[in-house]
Amino acid sequence: MQIVKRIEIITNTLELEKVLKILDDTDVSGYTIIQDVTGKGDRGRIIDDLEGHALTNSYVITICTEEQEHLLVEAIRPILKKYGGVCIISDAKSIIH
Amino acid sequence: MNSSLLLSNILTPPVLFFFLGMLATFVKSDLEIPQPLPKLFSLYLLLSIGFKGGYEITESGINLQITFTLLAAIFMASIVPIYSFFILKLKLDTYNAAAIAATYGSISAVTFITAQSFLKILNISSGGHMVAALALMESPAIIVGIVLVKIFIKSKEEGEKEKFSWGEVLREAFLNGSVFLLVASVMVGVITGEKGWVKLHPFTEDIFYGVLSFFLLDMGMVAAKRFKELSKTGYFLIIFGVLMPVINAIIGIMISKLIGMSEGNALLFSVLCASASYIAVPAAMRMTVPEANPSLYVSMALAITFPFNIIIGIPLYFNIIKAIGV
Repeated sequence: MQIVKRIEIITNTLELEKVLKILDDTDVSGYTIIQDVTGKGDRGRIIDDLEGHALTNSYVITICTEEQEHLLVEAIRPILKKYGGVCIISDAKSIIH
Repeated sequence: MNSSLLLSNILTPPVLFFFLGMLATFVKSDLEIPQPLPKLFSLYLLLSIGFKGGYEITESGINLQITFTLLAAIFMASIVPIYSFFILKLKLDTYNAAAIAATYGSISAVTFITAQSFLKILNISSGGHMVAALALMESPAIIVGIVLVKIFIKSKEEGEKEKFSWGEVLREAFLNGSVFLLVASVMVGVITGEKGWVKLHPFTEDIFYGVLSFFLLDMGMVAAKRFKELSKTGYFLIIFGVLMPVINAIIGIMISKLIGMSEGNALLFSVLCASASYIAVPAAMRMTVPEANPSLYVSMALAITFPFNIIIGIPLYFNIIKAIGV
């Protein structure tokens, strides 16, 4: 088992590409995306009832090292500040395979 | 207002299905249309009206009146957000005022399609170039909305703002899926002409009314779900959402009279002026004015202005057109 940081990001779908670029630039080994997630946050309810993706969120989960975590947090903070969303970081274990 | 006209509008299958969709939500029915289907129906409706419009342009050709109509469309799409902005600024901050103003400057294709079907029931013809007017009116309001924010946000706030890419915004404004499909379908209609029209007729005409009814059933549910959000908008915006379409429609009707449009074209033009966008504008505003609250501008367009226009607005504007004698 390997000790890792689990990063969960919920961001506006329009900003997803920017978030993925940050993850790529930070050299994380990979990520999983769930698109068009809905819910409620400090900027109101997110309802998936429109034709486009403009008002829906995407959920991204990845793991990284502690060093990468600091880089990620600094890069993602401006996006969260402008467009809303959340970034949750927790300690986790990953199976080495 | 001629009540029989209002009643004949309400008692058409598309509008009744719209009510049914609203009712399903209000009584908490588990009626649900699988999510990809409404999107497919919406694309179908855009493709059909675009293709039909393109074919009709080949039949009618381009003349001076059509040119004036298209110029009037761009004029209205640019001017509506400006005066709407100053009205909204009386009660709202710049971000929300600009986003709502852009929403009301742009158009709703489904309202336009419902007005077309209203004209069809009355056996009143309209020109294919009105679809070109629809496409032209989708995007200018987005640009005006962004420019208004740029002008009215104080310089110190501007310094704090993260810059956005104009390229991205213009791509979203002019090449978003709906606008792209509509314009491309008009071009296909123009290129294929009579032969293409005959071939696609069973697809673009015969099932059109049924698809519109099904789509409005979904829109009824969507609008009703957004009603809950209206508690956040307050009376000012609810009144704005009803009065602004009427004012815009009346200005549109005056312009129609000035240009000498036919009754059918005048109704479609007034409906374009009166409708509010819930597809192209929310995407662009979310990208460029994230400070604005989507619960306000989307809910106003979907839960107030859209139902008002398709239930009361369309017959009301038609009555005004008749009364003025366009």
